[in-house]
Parts: sequence; C-alpha cells; structure tokens
Amino acid sequence: MKKYLLLPFLLVVFGAAGVLNSCKKDADSQPTVGTVSLELANMVGTQPLALDGTAYSTASGETFTVSTLKYYISNITFAKADGSTYAAPGEYHLIDASKSASTNFTVSKVPTGDYTGVSFVVGVDSTTTKGDPLALSGDLNPANAMYWAWATGHIFLKLEGTVTSASPNKALVCHIGGYRQPYSALVTAAPSFKGSTLQVRSGTTPKIRLSADVLKIFDGPTRFTLSSFPTTMMPSAASVQVAQNYAAGMFAVAGVQAN
Amino acid sequence: MRATHLLRTLRQPLAHWRLAALLALGGVVVASASCSKVASLELAVPGTEQPANFPAMVYNLAKNPPSAAAFELGKALFYDKRLSHDGTVSCGSCHQVAAAFAQPGFRFSPGVGGRPGARNAPALQNLRWRRSFMADGGVLGLELQALAPLTDAHEMSMPLADALARLNADTNYQQHFAAVYGPGKIDTPQFLRALAQFTASLTSANSRYDKYVRHEAGGEFTAQEVSGLAVFKAKCGGCHATDLFTDESFRNNGLDRTFARDSGRAHITSWPTDRGRFRVPSLRNVAATGPYMHDGRFATLAQVLAHYNHGVQPSATLDPLLRQPDGQLGITLTAQEQAGLLTFLNTLTDQAFLTDNRLGPPH
Repeated sequence: MKKYLLLPFLLVVFGAAGVLNSCKKDADSQPTVGTVSLELANMVGTQPLALDGTAYSTASGETFTVSTLKYYISNITFAKADGSTYAAPGEYHLIDASKSASTNFTVSKVPTGDYTGVSFVVGVDSTTTKGDPLALSGDLNPANAMYWAWATGHIFLKLEGTVTSASPNKALVCHIGGYRQPYSALVTAAPSFKGSTLQVRSGTTPKIRLSADVLKIFDGPTRFTLSSFPTTMMPSAASVQVAQNYAAGMFAVAGVQAN
Repeated sequence: MRATHLLRTLRQPLAHWRLAALLALGGVVVASASCSKVASLELAVPGTEQPANFPAMVYNLAKNPPSAAAFELGKALFYDKRLSHDGTVSCGSCHQVAAAFAQPGFRFSPGVGGRPGARNAPALQNLRWRRSFMADGGVLGLELQALAPLTDAHEMSMPLADALARLNADTNYQQHFAAVYGPGKIDTPQFLRALAQFTASLTSANSRYDKYVRHEAGGEFTAQEVSGLAVFKAKCGGCHATDLFTDESFRNNGLDRTFARDSGRAHITSWPTDRGRFRVPSLRNVAATGPYMHDGRFATLAQVLAHYNHGVQPSATLDPLLRQPDGQLGITLTAQEQAGLLTFLNTLTDQAFLTDNRLGPPH
C-alpha cells in the first residue's frame, strides 16, 4: 500500500519541480541582452511643439495652435543589416506632449548586436485593444482618454487645437483609430537610421532620438489644407489618409547615440 | 462506496497515473477555491446558475468570480448618480428593474442636463450570454460596456478618469473597494470588474415560458398560448432564436428605407452592407420593455406586429427573412395569429426578476 501512495505523491512533487525548473532554464538560455532608450521630441516643422497657444504655420501659410497631442507607439521592432529582426513584446507607450516624462522610455531585453533600423506601430494592435479589459492599465488604461468606449478600441493618435487662419476660427479635432477594414488606421512607421548603427550591448543603454513633426500629419501621401482638414472622430477614408501621412513622414531619427 | 472504489483503484497496476492526476486536480481546485471564495459566497449573488434551458454561458465567470461583497459594490455603483457629470443620472436612471432594466415611457432616455440619448435604452438581462453589446455591437465585453454610457455626452458625460477620482475621494468607496480587491487606488480594472458583478447578475430565467419548457410547476399554458408559441417558432424564431430569444445577429428589419440618422452596425464596421442593421434583441420580459426598436418608435407590441405584417420598408440591406418568395415584404400574420403571439409574448414576463428587491436601488 505504502509504495502505491508514495508514487503519486512523488509524481506531483516532481511535476511541480519540473515547472519551476523549466522556468529557470528559460531564463538561463536567454541570449545576452541590453536596453535601448527612445526619446521623442514633438515638433512643428523645426520648432519644438508648445501647447501654450503658440501659433504655427503650414507650408501654405495657414496658422494653427495645438492644445493636445497624444499618440501610441507599440510593437517596436529592431532590424539588423542582414535583415533579421527583433520584435520587443509587450511595449505600449502613450506619448503625451503635455507630459514630458512620457516622451522618454526604454525597451529592455533587446538581444545584443548592431541594429540598422527601427519600426513601430503608431497605435495599438487589435488583439491588445480588444483584449481583456481587466488588463488595461498603465499607458493602455481607458482612463487616459485615448479610448473609444462606443467601439471598443484605443484612439491611436489625438491632435486637437484651433485653425486660427480660418475665419471664424475652426476647431482642429483629429482622433485617429480603428483596426477594422475597410478603414483600419493601424500603420507602421520606419524612420531611417540614415547609416547610423544602434549598438546594443549588455551594460550600456544606447539611445534613439526621434522627432515627431505635427505638420506631417496634414502633409504626406495626401496633402490636406487646414481649412478643409476633416474633423475625424471615427474610422473613415479620411482617417486612413491621415494615418498614412503620419506613418510616412511624422517620425524621423534625429540621432543614434551609443550610450 | 467511494473509499472501497479508491482502494480497488490503488490495487490496479496502472492506476497511479489516474490518482496522481486526481490529486493534482484536487490541489488546483482547493487552491482556486481558497483564493476566490466562490463556493461560500456564490449563493448570495443572484443569477449565478446556468438555467437548464439556456445555451452555454459566454462570460467567463472565473475571471470575475461572483461574490456578495463585490455584487453589493457593483450595485452601489450602478445606482450612484455621482458617477454622472452633474450628479443627476445613474445607470439605474435609464435601466429600471421593473422594466427589465429598460426605461418605460421614454423613446430616448434623458442624460445629464436632460439631453436625450441617441437610442432607446435597452433592457439589461442575461448579459452573461452576450458576445457583444449595444444595438450596433460596438462594445466587445461586459466590463467595457459600462464605459459607453458613462462617458457619452448625452448620457452620464463622465470621463473615466474623473469617475475614478470621485471614487478615490470617497471614504466609503475606498473601504468597500479595499475590502473586495485589496488596498490601493481604485483603478479601471477594479471599477469595471465591480460594476460587471452587478450587471452580470441580472438573469431572467423564471418566466412562465421557462417553467413551461422546463416542465416545472406554474408552467401551464393556455391553448391560445400554445398556438401563439407555434406561430412564434414558425414565423419569428428565425431571428429570435433559442430560449434567449435572439440569435445575436445584426439585421435590418425594414424600419426605414434610408439610414442617415442611425446607420446601426455600419457605424462600427463602415461596411455599406451593414447599413440599417441592428442587434436582434431578446424578447424576454418584452411586455415590460417598451417602447420598442432601437429608436423606441413603437409604443406597443401590437404596433410591432403590425410593422412586421404590413409596415416593412424595402432597402438594399433588408433582411432576406423579411422578403417572401412572392416578393412581398414582411411576415404575414392573421389577426388570430397576432392575438396568439401577443398572449405568448406575455408568458415571457418574469415577475420574480422584475420585482427582485436584491436588484433594485439600495435603500
């Protein structure tokens, strides 16, 4: 009898030990990793963005002010010269021009090596945005006012302000989101390193300095005048055009620093 | 009996594996029960059982295990007007228990400042069996559903961050949330989880119809009700399917020819083929949930039947079930059939649910 009782007991104990052991093994088998810092400078053309009522001009001479600029950067992928990539899991960062701390963040556990490019989704992938609401905390928290309660999903980019060259002044309301065809606004930006190399080593924190130019939201594959720039608060053909604009040209690499 | 069986099992050569699995499973069950305390508290929360005549529950109870304390917290939130911008509207203002949590007398319920909403307030019942929410299916989870009326400018007009700030500033809520979810700030997950404890509990499964199909006492049908049920199954059951009385699909039931005011499902999907489609509503407690349709245009069930009989309007997205082979639109219903249907629909009224004090406003 005794030995029959002992066997299942041992099976359970070893089963549990096996689970613990496999976790440990995973950690051991990780390649050497480093941390990458990303820094965003929100700009309007060559001027730093201020939310204090400063009026900015477009190339065609229209003027506007900005009161809100917020956007998500997620699914960050680093590429090497040989074409191989590393996609950093679980990175969702809300950049809010009114919160300077939000414009700096780090991506840890990037395998060491020399990277020649970076890409990221401007927005939140559909799996996460539709996922378990009880996990929506931190930058993904619907309380950050970057969320469409009526259509379950995050707003990817929010630009608000006033077109001051319009008479009377016109509200600038640009809320871009939506992950469903035909009007999916999920876009990827891949600003060029322009020949620089991001050297990821354990023990150092290289930095990618990015600039984000608000003017490129209006001007890219589709050129909008501010007087006719559509008010967008739901997915539409225009919101996809705006998303394609900011994917194409809003983000530029201002520098890659070794440490 | 069990002990002898166990002994016999132990004597069998290959039985250790089964026993090991059993022991391991037992461990898991004990662990999860001690974490959530479901077993001891479940009975105190209304509507946790799976009615025998319902399809399988969609909602994952394990993710938000019912507890009496969380249910009471959710109920307090549901009936708290301070969760609206100007403190005049609670969830319970437009969702009243006596009307299966619809609002009688209003096509469009007034939100803050008396602003009318865009659609008729729907009944809230059996939400644990729903895959999506709202007449257009835009909301994909029961917890998330609360965010729509909370933040809509025509309803409670309350930014989520402001609602959380009000809760965090309230000593009672601080204590109540801490007792249920542990110490710390009240954040989105705790808030939505607590509200869903209440909304998920709203289960209506004890109408006379339920007792009739479950062969329970009090489930007697008159001859007219029996024939009304037969007409219903033949002519309405294509959309109002299962004992939830909806197939959860989105259909254009011919209310209008154009959809400029409310495009329904197309508002979410942007597909022209979804214009004018709205969720097929459940008909449970239908006698108590008027006015009817997404815009509350029909005050009575007789008007609804008249619409299907001779009021259906053509459009590109009209549901195929409302196009008869001879090209006629709608569902032909004789006066006798309509009378039978009306008596049958009244059997879907669940008085125990409509008068359940546990679900009404706290005193």
